[in-house]
Amino acid sequence: MPRTRSSKASSSASSVTGVPAASAPRNNLASQAGGSATARSTLLGVITRPRHSDAAISYDSSPHHPVDDEVSDQSTISSYASSIGTVNGSPPSDDELERMYKGYLEKPNVLTQSSYKHSEFGHCNNPNYRYTSQYNPAEPVTPEAEPLPPYYVLLTTYMSYTLLILLGHIRDFFGKKLYPSYYEHLMPRDGYAALNSDFDSFYIRRLKVRLDDCFSRPVTGVPGRTIMLLDRYTNDCRESFHLSGTQTRALNVSSYNYLGFASSTGGCADAVEETLKRYGPAGAATRHDAGTLDLHNQAEKLTARFVGSEAAMIVSMGFATNSTNIPALVEKGCLVISDEFNHASIRFGVRLSGASVRTFKHNDVHALEDLLRDCIAQGQPRTHRPWKKIVVIVEGLFSMEGTMVNLPAVIELKRRYKFYLYVDEAHSIGALGPNGRGVCDYFGVDPREIDILMGTFTKSFGAAGGYICGTKDLIDGLKVRSHAFCYAEAMSPPVLTQIIASMAAIMGIAPPLATPVDLDEDVSDSVSIWSRHQSFGPAPRQELPVWFSLPPNMANGTEGRERLRRLAFNSRYLSSGLRKLGFIVYGHRDSPIIPLLLYNPGKMGMFSRMMLNRLGPDKTPIAVVIVAYPATPLITSRVRFCLSASHTKTDIDLLLRACDEVGDILNLKFSSEGPHWPVDKVIASAEELVATTDLDLVQ
Amino acid sequence: MATPSTMVSAPAGASPADDISPALLPVVALLSSTLTYLTNWFNSIPGSPILLRYIRSSYQNDPWRSLLEVLLVAFALRTLLARRTRGEGEGKGLRLSEKEIDELVDDWQPVPLVGPMSDLEKRTLESVPVIYGQNGAHARVAPGGKPVLNLAVYDWLGFVENDEIKNVAIDTLHEYGVGSCGPMGFYGTIDVHTTFEQDVAEFLNVESAIIYAQGFSAVSSAIPAFAKRGDIIVADRGVNFAIHKGLQLARCTVRWYAHGDMKDLERVLASVDREIRRKGGRLTRRFIVTEGIFENDGMMSDLPKICELKKKYKYRLVLDESMSFGMVGAHGRGLTEHYGVPAEEVEILIGSMANALGAGGGFCAGSQHVTAHQRINSGASVFSAAIPAMHATVSSAAVKMMQSQPYLLTNLRANVLTFRQQLVKLEPSPNLIAPSSPNGGAETPFTNNKDALISIPSHPDSGLIHIFLVNPPDTLEEEENVLQEIVDECLANGVIITRARRLRGQESVEPEPSLKVCVSAMFSRKETEKAGKTLRDAIVKVCSKRR
Repeated sequence: MPRTRSSKASSSASSVTGVPAASAPRNNLASQAGGSATARSTLLGVITRPRHSDAAISYDSSPHHPVDDEVSDQSTISSYASSIGTVNGSPPSDDELERMYKGYLEKPNVLTQSSYKHSEFGHCNNPNYRYTSQYNPAEPVTPEAEPLPPYYVLLTTYMSYTLLILLGHIRDFFGKKLYPSYYEHLMPRDGYAALNSDFDSFYIRRLKVRLDDCFSRPVTGVPGRTIMLLDRYTNDCRESFHLSGTQTRALNVSSYNYLGFASSTGGCADAVEETLKRYGPAGAATRHDAGTLDLHNQAEKLTARFVGSEAAMIVSMGFATNSTNIPALVEKGCLVISDEFNHASIRFGVRLSGASVRTFKHNDVHALEDLLRDCIAQGQPRTHRPWKKIVVIVEGLFSMEGTMVNLPAVIELKRRYKFYLYVDEAHSIGALGPNGRGVCDYFGVDPREIDILMGTFTKSFGAAGGYICGTKDLIDGLKVRSHAFCYAEAMSPPVLTQIIASMAAIMGIAPPLATPVDLDEDVSDSVSIWSRHQSFGPAPRQELPVWFSLPPNMANGTEGRERLRRLAFNSRYLSSGLRKLGFIVYGHRDSPIIPLLLYNPGKMGMFSRMMLNRLGPDKTPIAVVIVAYPATPLITSRVRFCLSASHTKTDIDLLLRACDEVGDILNLKFSSEGPHWPVDKVIASAEELVATTDLDLVQ
Repeated sequence: MATPSTMVSAPAGASPADDISPALLPVVALLSSTLTYLTNWFNSIPGSPILLRYIRSSYQNDPWRSLLEVLLVAFALRTLLARRTRGEGEGKGLRLSEKEIDELVDDWQPVPLVGPMSDLEKRTLESVPVIYGQNGAHARVAPGGKPVLNLAVYDWLGFVENDEIKNVAIDTLHEYGVGSCGPMGFYGTIDVHTTFEQDVAEFLNVESAIIYAQGFSAVSSAIPAFAKRGDIIVADRGVNFAIHKGLQLARCTVRWYAHGDMKDLERVLASVDREIRRKGGRLTRRFIVTEGIFENDGMMSDLPKICELKKKYKYRLVLDESMSFGMVGAHGRGLTEHYGVPAEEVEILIGSMANALGAGGGFCAGSQHVTAHQRINSGASVFSAAIPAMHATVSSAAVKMMQSQPYLLTNLRANVLTFRQQLVKLEPSPNLIAPSSPNGGAETPFTNNKDALISIPSHPDSGLIHIFLVNPPDTLEEEENVLQEIVDECLANGVIITRARRLRGQESVEPEPSLKVCVSAMFSRKETEKAGKTLRDAIVKVCSKRR
């Protein structure tokens, strides 16, 4: 069925717009594929469906909605020729590349009818560039071994840091003699101790400062598919920066805009504008005083329904969702077992709670089990009294690693060891799963099996703040004991509406999709005792604000679904592509967070600068995020790409080209697995790379 | 230490082989060859003669010293190889067999994740009012209902309902969208954030400011960014919950002084000073932490006195102006303007953008070094997504309006005075009536009122008014119930006020139950009088029913 649909879309597309390039990508693929042309032609059928064909999960594969094909995404009407492909089958020359990518960040190269700006949400209508994010048992959740670079890389990394530290100390030694005024605020003075001593600030002053032009780059406008950077310059070796007044539009692979809902136009923005007129911009008080609006209750109900829990509570800041609610859950005499790479807000919250805390090796279920056995058997330190309760805190998708928690395994452990499970879905909610409902959806686990589901609205929903979902008793208890509810400001109405609108767009609003679905059809291999359709249904109209409306393609859920599937394709394509190019990439291939390992500290700044001031023929700047110690272990410095549904396949192609170009110059292709592919081969085999369960099988 | 010296003499020692029985000869030969080999190897290491000479001389001169050094080396090795962090319960655990562990695991039963709610907590949750539509000084508590007077929002200057500000928000929406989608470090530094930082810094006349995504987190994160283990904090006992959390995170030495008592502050400062002098040690950071207008009772800190003391004892001042920013001072600059103290005197000044400014978030103002430090070291700034652009532009607009429309502040003070006058009959003594009011003590006919029902410690200029019962019931729960009855009575008569909600059991210093009233500049004189009268009647009604 998907195959017929894509061909229909293609024919209608070219007839509407008449763009000659409409069918080019497919031809190219076939011509470049060489020997495996037959294999590829079947891919169209594979890609648009979930991997196990018997698990009919996503709405589009259901035969009950024949109208879907006609309605579809409103931009599908035009064409799906948004991908820039090669014209004659051979890799494009530099001139061709330059022509292709000229001004393409702002101008779509196809005619489209869309309420979004191309610079905020890219037009990509090719239905082949879609995928469904769903757990496949054939692909391991965690790799057996972390890929390792050659020893000389590790050695030079350590040497670099030693050299940097040495140089820093030498500079400090002479600096203190020659420029005492620079050190004044770092030294005790006038009977006051320094606010920040020279020792404490050494790393920042002598190491981080070398990269400071790559951090906190000032921006303006929407952090969508592209981002407008305000150019700045420094006259004092990055001690201070000044705006030069010019601006650069760069491809944005850094913002946590997974579903592309960060947008200044379109259905969500219209709803937010309506709210601003009706409610004003602020919540004005704490939730317990007169700060609870009807909107809060509506957003909480919708969130609970979205996540698949009984009840939800909303906090006005994502960080504070963890840091102000964990103390309300655990106290002295309780034990928190935390993944070693858990986010700072969790550590903040646990520290405030006074509970004991133990950590286990990142994502290692066996280490977790050993620790649990030890902790339960030994009880509290010294007294050996049994723990009051044990809460295991893990993240759904780890923000620096791109790894996913092995949820089925952890739930197995939970049954045996009776701990409470707290899953921080800050990054995974909206970004994973066939319905975008996070790791539970991805693994097919009933969300009610997890005691506390926490997540944020900053990332996939283009809003701000966070939520906690659970049973009604839990949420009621938290509401009266949470610091945030009692003392912190309530979430503001525009942010609430952005949440409601984007969630409703992902879920679809009930009437159009309310057709009861055969339960017999749901033969997923999940451990869920409840049907997926019940858990992850559409948003009931009566629970949304009366005045609230969305454009038809958002209200019927097609746009939300498109976004989920575009994100899934983009993530898997880039992750696979980078691996095939020979880079060391961490994380799961379905993760929209893709860390590419750099190791040497010197390469971090160079990578970021070379991506921004491109040497390649197309010259399109790319804004990337580099992460180093203390956010990661000392040696594994990395660049972290965060993909979005707003990226087109062309954007990912461009990113691959850029990485390839910089990777060759900086010698970053350390991977020992398989032959390193040329970038044009990777781009030509995009769909195959995405479809495969094992990258090594693709030759 | 003896080994190297024997090693050197080894070749000599091997020569008298004649005395040894022939059967042992191969063994001795092996030993001697090994020794020779080791000696050669040792000599081939560069610097070995120096080491040898050192060891020899130290051994000959003082065998105890050699022993000590060996022990020292052993200890150093042990320390190096030991685990860095001493995890709780590690190492010293009982040794149990797998079977025993299985049994223990089977036996272990955790307590429920959340304990059952107490009656008071249930009542608290049930009594949360829901506002339908626009919040602000006038709000609806039922869909389509009549607007009632809302004295439960921190909207001192009425910016929440301001149409001009709404338009600013809408313009921002069309340029920036809603979310910032990233922390400040990673492309989350939007130009409007920087603009607000500059605006507020200029407004307060300090070097710079830093923006936070939530007022509560700004306070509880800025303090531990500076104060570390070993540092000293002297704090007012009446500070708010967020500061308590900040102090807890800072893990420094905290000394308390009696709430609002400057003599006690001086006493504590002097005693800390004596202690430091007695103990010696290195110079540590020292802070005084207090609030402008206290969130827990509306009292005001004596800033000039605190500044004098902090200079005398070389402390830095952390001032939480979450409530007072936009409430006191001729233009709403807060306590510094009220007392005419330059804001630069306050090293770390924390304010909220959610209360007076009608947006969301918080800020911290201070010198360039203070803000730069927080950008890298403050958890809530580094690890949190940046605030939505809309909140920053709305705050900027509000700050500009505070500058250009000082009458808002005058209105607020007039309203506070009007409101307090309505309650004065119920207070024990009228000495708290605003000294700054034009007819200050003229209309205060009561002295030592015997029928006093309530006491109001709040500062006469403070829009935040806390009302405490004079003769409270015996238990805390009953007292809260009485206060809730007053709140319900007021609501029935068209006025929303609130009982100060507390997290009983989690507070470091449990505040007394109180009613919380927030007066806004948006009320007309008549409305303020009505609100005051309604509250007075409600208090009288509920309290007389009790008797």
